[in-house]
Amino acid sequence: MIGRLEAVLRPLAFILLATVLCGIVFEFAGYSALTMFDSIVQGAFLGRGALEKSLRWALPLFITAVGVGISFRCGFFNIGAQGQFYMGAVSAAFAADLMTGAPAALAVPLSILAGMAGGALWALWPGYLRLRSGTDEVITTLMGNFIAALILVYVTSGPLKDPSGSGQQASTKMLPPEFRISGSDGVSPAIVAIAAVVGVTGWLLVNRTAFGTLASLAGRNPTMLRFQGGKIWRLGLMSFLVSGALAGLAASVELHGPSGRIASGFLPGHGFTAILVALVASYAVAATALAALFFGGLFSAAIFLPILAGLPASAIELFNAVIALLITANIGMRTGIRRFLPRRWRV
Amino acid sequence: MSEVHEFAVAILRSGTPLIYAALAGVIVQRSGIWHLGLEGLMIMGACATVVGIVLSGSFYVAILLAISICVAASILQWFVIERLRANQIIAGLGITGIGIGGTAFAVETIFGSLAAIAAPFGVPRIGAAFGPYSGLSIFVLMMPFAVFAMWAVLSRSRFGLRLAAAGEHPFAARSVGADPSIMRLVAFCVAGVLCAIAGAELAAGSLQIFAQNMVAGRGFMGFAAVIFGAGHAVGSALAATFFSLVGVVGIRMQIHFGAFVSHDLLLCLPYLATVFGVWITGRARNQFKP
Repeated sequence: MIGRLEAVLRPLAFILLATVLCGIVFEFAGYSALTMFDSIVQGAFLGRGALEKSLRWALPLFITAVGVGISFRCGFFNIGAQGQFYMGAVSAAFAADLMTGAPAALAVPLSILAGMAGGALWALWPGYLRLRSGTDEVITTLMGNFIAALILVYVTSGPLKDPSGSGQQASTKMLPPEFRISGSDGVSPAIVAIAAVVGVTGWLLVNRTAFGTLASLAGRNPTMLRFQGGKIWRLGLMSFLVSGALAGLAASVELHGPSGRIASGFLPGHGFTAILVALVASYAVAATALAALFFGGLFSAAIFLPILAGLPASAIELFNAVIALLITANIGMRTGIRRFLPRRWRV
Repeated sequence: MSEVHEFAVAILRSGTPLIYAALAGVIVQRSGIWHLGLEGLMIMGACATVVGIVLSGSFYVAILLAISICVAASILQWFVIERLRANQIIAGLGITGIGIGGTAFAVETIFGSLAAIAAPFGVPRIGAAFGPYSGLSIFVLMMPFAVFAMWAVLSRSRFGLRLAAAGEHPFAARSVGADPSIMRLVAFCVAGVLCAIAGAELAAGSLQIFAQNMVAGRGFMGFAAVIFGAGHAVGSALAATFFSLVGVVGIRMQIHFGAFVSHDLLLCLPYLATVFGVWITGRARNQFKP
């Protein structure tokens, strides 16, 4: 019971700590921190229509974060969610472009599958290099993010360029309306259903299958896994593929849902925020949903922050980064204070 | 001949920030911690240098500002990793996020917009005596000495041995009276100074401009150079030079093959070279594993 209570209180305590730290910084920078937090809460959750807007950002975030959680749980730091998201978007956009004119009931699911395949493939090569030759996955997935961002720039300003675009930001043509699964508000039964399926499948995969049990074991104690006869090779590759496919799914939902097209450098913080969501939720699926709603709310508030509080939108980025810095800190309830003391004062 | 000089100048220009970042990564790597905050520290250094030059009009004030901000951020990272026992990788990414978000926040607070800031002058140049290399900054001139000094300190000094002990066998370090935690603090502070120089060189070495997100993965590349160079000062500097060489070749290729291959795809080359370097390291390491 204590463990479970701590699991809930810990992330809340860190978010509170990050809020206080950022509040101090914002006050020193000459903004009113209280006005700012008030406008965040209004803009994200309490204002009229705010919750729907938060949900629009939370749903793709949730889908990606479930995948990130699965690979982290397995002990692989797949921090390439951003790149997998972009590659999923690129392949879904290519598929949708190829199937222009086809019946939507056929084209949309195929395009979403193509997006998942694109994301999974972009997670496959770091996973393969990691398991085959011990190449560190942190660097390969990070580099994959930069490469995927450049490929996205290439695709949106080359093969799939919208010729009537304004030139400010290269983007593809808008999808035809029958290919869209939601309006630009981004909340529709189809998207909610996809997220629910991801949530339920993710929960079953983690809690009710051999894969989930062995993956948790692999993350906590790989030696034990070897003694149990588990195959790290299959588990690892599977966790990479699942996380990549879910990032690709989030991208196809974004393409066929609220965005309707892909643009170079769209949603630049998606992958990082999804990692944060997974960490705050300590990889539990139900908690991931709540955390995604929280960070989605922050994201949607960031759009209104300059209008409401006169504060730059990067304030939210800073806040997220402070949470990332602190979230893995290992301060238990008992050992918390001791760590601050010099060694000779500890008992 | 002039073509060779031009090529060398281009490599020195793009390679120097990478080499300083790699040196910062090396010293922290020796103390047993993976430094993934290089990217964030570099952008803090770049931003502080340009903003400092614009606001104070003096390069020396600006570089001192950059160094103090980077060292403060390094101490914060050390505190979170060492005292709060946070995960090194996530905490490093957090510092990177603070660097990217914080510089955007600071620039918008000070100047009111996110546009690129141009400084009237940059890092002092090395002077006309060097012929075709006269346009390079003094940090480029200092770079070989920095690499040599890092090698000497890490491999030929008492401090370096204790630092390596703190990383590989903390108990051994403690038994000779060196607190591994304090050794790491020193390593992080030196890394902060080096990252400030890397950022200053990147932003004010030749361009004299600070733009949002201008580091664009160079900090992570510097970290990859540490892995590729097996945590050795000279090896990592050579790895960083290799990455920047690939980048310069990519830019040259745009001139010759620009009509056939997309500009954006050629820009991928240094990132691909990084993946290649880390892959080679992984293979080499696995062969020695039992």
